[in-house]
Amino acid sequence: MTEQIIKPDVKFINDIIASGGESVKKCFQCATCSVVCNVTPDDNPFPRKEMLQAQWGLKDKLINNPDVWLCHQCSDCTAYCPRGAKPGEVLNAVRQLSIKHVSMIPLFAKIAQDPKLIWLLFAVPIVLFYVVMRFAHHETLEFIRLGENMDQMVYHMFIPADPHMNAPFPLKMIFALTAVFSVLSAVVGVNRLWTGMKAQAGQLKSGGNLMEDIISSVKTIFAHSKFADCNVNRLRQWGHMLLSYSFAGLAISGILALIYSYLFNITGPYALTNPMKLLSQASMIAFLAGIVILIYNRFTQAGKAGMGSYFDWIFLSIVAGIGATGLLALGFRLANMSAGYAAFYLHFVFVWLLLAYAPYSKFAHLFYRTTAMVFAKYSGREGKQV
Amino acid sequence: MEKKFGVYICKGCGIGEAVNIDELKKTTAGGAKIAAEAIREHEILCSPAGLEMINNDVKEGTNCIVVGACSPRVKFEEFDFPGALTERVNLRELVAWTMEPNTEDTQSVAEDYLKMGVVKLQRGDLPEPKILEDLSSTIMVVGGGFTGLTAALESANAGYKVILVEKEAELGGWGAKLYKETPRTYPYDKLDDPAVFGKIKEAEAHENIRICKSTVIEKTDGQPGLFDVTLRTNGSTETVKVGSFIMAAGWKPYDATKLGHLGYGNPNVITNVQMEEIAKKGKIIRPSDGKEAKNVAFIQCAGQRDMNHLPYCSAFCCATSLKQAKYVREKSSDAVAMIFYKDIRTPGQTELFYKNMQNDPGVLLTKADVTGITDAGNGNLYVEAENTLLGEKIKVEADLVVLATGIVPATRAPQEYLDGLAAATLKGDEAKKNYIEGTEKPEFILNLAYKQGPELPSEDGYYGFADSSFICFQYETRRTGIYTAGCVKQPMTMVDAASDAAGAALKAIQCVEHVAKGIAVHPRAWDATFPDPMMIKCTSCKRCTDECPFGAIDEDEKGTPFFKINRCRRCGTCMGACPERIVSFKDFSVDIVGSMIKNMDVPDEGYRIIVLACENDAYPALDSAAIKKYKLNPSVRIIPVRCLGSTNLVWVTDALSRGIDGLILLGCKYGENYQCHFVKGSELASYRFGKLQETLTKLQLEADRCQLMQVAISDYDALPKMIDDFVARIEEIGPNPFKGF
Repeated sequence: MTEQIIKPDVKFINDIIASGGESVKKCFQCATCSVVCNVTPDDNPFPRKEMLQAQWGLKDKLINNPDVWLCHQCSDCTAYCPRGAKPGEVLNAVRQLSIKHVSMIPLFAKIAQDPKLIWLLFAVPIVLFYVVMRFAHHETLEFIRLGENMDQMVYHMFIPADPHMNAPFPLKMIFALTAVFSVLSAVVGVNRLWTGMKAQAGQLKSGGNLMEDIISSVKTIFAHSKFADCNVNRLRQWGHMLLSYSFAGLAISGILALIYSYLFNITGPYALTNPMKLLSQASMIAFLAGIVILIYNRFTQAGKAGMGSYFDWIFLSIVAGIGATGLLALGFRLANMSAGYAAFYLHFVFVWLLLAYAPYSKFAHLFYRTTAMVFAKYSGREGKQV
Repeated sequence: MEKKFGVYICKGCGIGEAVNIDELKKTTAGGAKIAAEAIREHEILCSPAGLEMINNDVKEGTNCIVVGACSPRVKFEEFDFPGALTERVNLRELVAWTMEPNTEDTQSVAEDYLKMGVVKLQRGDLPEPKILEDLSSTIMVVGGGFTGLTAALESANAGYKVILVEKEAELGGWGAKLYKETPRTYPYDKLDDPAVFGKIKEAEAHENIRICKSTVIEKTDGQPGLFDVTLRTNGSTETVKVGSFIMAAGWKPYDATKLGHLGYGNPNVITNVQMEEIAKKGKIIRPSDGKEAKNVAFIQCAGQRDMNHLPYCSAFCCATSLKQAKYVREKSSDAVAMIFYKDIRTPGQTELFYKNMQNDPGVLLTKADVTGITDAGNGNLYVEAENTLLGEKIKVEADLVVLATGIVPATRAPQEYLDGLAAATLKGDEAKKNYIEGTEKPEFILNLAYKQGPELPSEDGYYGFADSSFICFQYETRRTGIYTAGCVKQPMTMVDAASDAAGAALKAIQCVEHVAKGIAVHPRAWDATFPDPMMIKCTSCKRCTDECPFGAIDEDEKGTPFFKINRCRRCGTCMGACPERIVSFKDFSVDIVGSMIKNMDVPDEGYRIIVLACENDAYPALDSAAIKKYKLNPSVRIIPVRCLGSTNLVWVTDALSRGIDGLILLGCKYGENYQCHFVKGSELASYRFGKLQETLTKLQLEADRCQLMQVAISDYDALPKMIDDFVARIEEIGPNPFKGF
């Protein structure tokens, strides 16, 4: 055992408290949490040690700690904690701070995480799409007024999706650029996290095979087998599975849409029988089912698992917002009601929020938990077979 | 008193079904020589009709009542006949519930018990309380700290005169030296001002309290109700008479200079007592350079729970450090208090204070074994620790280190001094004795003029605390009429000390009230008998003066034992010790028990075994076995005794010479964690018994025929088998060769 100089950081403790971990100081280290946790490695299990590190404000130890990400917030620990210290919520807060710490543009993390900046969060896409609508296609407002007289509503006339009609900022291009920004942010963040975890771990136990570890981790993620080990948040397994599969489906259909328009110059609207359209419709149903299950689970398990933080709820709200506005836009269009334009506009506000802030919001867990799971296997922290 | 007997046999609770009552009446009339018409039976003796039957006889002049019914431990209110001598024969628990019904053996057990009951009354007499003259009901409180003041106020408010003695010039003790106290009321989140000042004011104004400051006790002579206490105040002396004592002499902090391994000696390593002084002056200023301390480390159990220092926990230091952490945090909002503990021990409601303090982001806690405090430069220090919950050896920088040092009871130094002298004298080690006498004499507290020594005697494993370790019996000491409270007894928080003080006050009041009635104090608090030695036969062997667990027997100028009756707890240890067998109580004597043994039926065939059972734990354990309907071996006869310490070895001779095959002394556990109500009873019995067994071997009687067994009151389930095993061993040895002589 090497001697470590401990430097308590009270600011970090206060940050955890402010980020939804207000119960962190209640822990008295009985280790019930580590005993009931089904997802921790057996050796040196979490979350007990993380709770103490958090209480002492040991930022360096927590920010680059793969265990913080191996936690899936089953909340079994929170349910059984005799002192009401809610380790699940505390680790969630630590993850939030970790996201901020590794983020490419910390201001984005701040906007995504600070409830006081919620206006700014929404203001950007609201203004952005207003600009697109107003200036890219200045007959738009006129068009809406005239829309009542049209046989069928056409959303892409309202906000141009494709590079035509001399639109300088068509939707697809905005989203493509946003996606590039997100991917870049994620790559930078993942790289920082990986480097940090490596530095923190020191000498690695085993030089694992990175490719094998990635494949194995992705398999685990797709199978949702970690979620199956949870007790309190058992229902979440299905909600998360539906939602993540639907995201995959929507991502694929989105990429297909880009390919159609930019490679083959085929523009929408697409027929409902188009494979891309079919995939996106199926994904949408899964999406709606998933988010309903997740929110239902949140409310019914709040007594045991805690109510969650702003960080959780803003993310859930955006996801739910996408579902709701998407559904409304579809419904209004089929009913030929012009309120559909507003729903369509808001839909893109929400979708953009999700995409742009993906590596800064709770959505970032997609990148960072995956990274930590790979690292845990790579470093020998966790067995390869799950 | 002319004795008129009445024997009453109850048929209820299964007695009538297990025993042939007609036969029992007949044999009792014959064997115990009781007129047949004086032996009555009743279906339910404790019913109003049954009791009326007895009371009618009492009115007719019956004054010796033998009740053959349930255990004397129950229905004592029903079977209470003032003015008459009453003996309860336990036919229910020891016969009906523990023997096979309607067998010859069972009948014989019942006959023996009833006969022994009659014999006991034939030999005994009605007790008359001995009330000494000129008794005082004044209570002396020793120590004017928080506990002593509370005890004085409690006693005074109950209407008793109090003399409060404080050796310092001011009242208040440690409580007056505190900056703040841990919270006393819900929600336990705000520090309170020290409570002791209010108590000082109240005590000083109280008409029943006389306060003697700068005063020490030079000498305490006498006995409860009649203590003559010589007080010395600034050179002048005065003798006062008091009835009982509350000893609240308190504690001293452990000598921190012995804690060099925790950095004591460095000016920035201080004790929790020094921390109070600093906080009282204002900001937390560290001693070395006057800089305000912003990173303060608290080391819990400093020299505590450590065999090289204090082996015990001082009970309040965790709460104290949490409180001092609050000083640090309140005096400077950006300061950090770090607490390194073995375990956090916050008894009672202080747990809520702990929870509140834990929630402060600037109060950091971890379990740790602190391995050292080293210099970090600029007057700062590194706290080095291992076995922390953080998982590694750690090193944390602090600008001030506070050691949570523990308490040493005020009684420890005099006890160690006296014990050292006694041990040296016992070994005949003159050099050592002279050396100890040459060292500085510690402050004595009570200066008792008792043959057994001037202070409360030490107990093994109590580290100098004035705790009698009477289980279940708080406040008692081995000096009757002197009750301890507060940290001189055991480490405790001030909340506990307050209730402890009230409890000790009640005991001190009970003491003066009981001696006024001529009855014993705890544990035989109803007992009007007293040891009444036939002094003309005394050989002044002083065994009683040595063995009395309460120092009740002094010696006069000629060296003759002298009983100070009000110090006596009526255990009968002197009766057991006396080789001349001159100590008797009216209803309990060598002769009474000897006669019971002699009148027991000893069959030619089969075995007969006597159990002398301590009536405090062993006898209730037998009752409990009976309630559980466990079977007891029918060859045993159980005779209750006040304490195994009262067992006189002549009873063994009486028994064995009559042909009794074996004898069990059934008493309490002794040694560390002893359970004897009279502290030393079964231990003394064991010591005496050891000598006896040598004698038995010399007489070619097997030493195994006599055995001392230690039982706790909760061992009732094991008891029947213990007795059966003993009987089996006796059967192995064979019958007593003296049988039939």
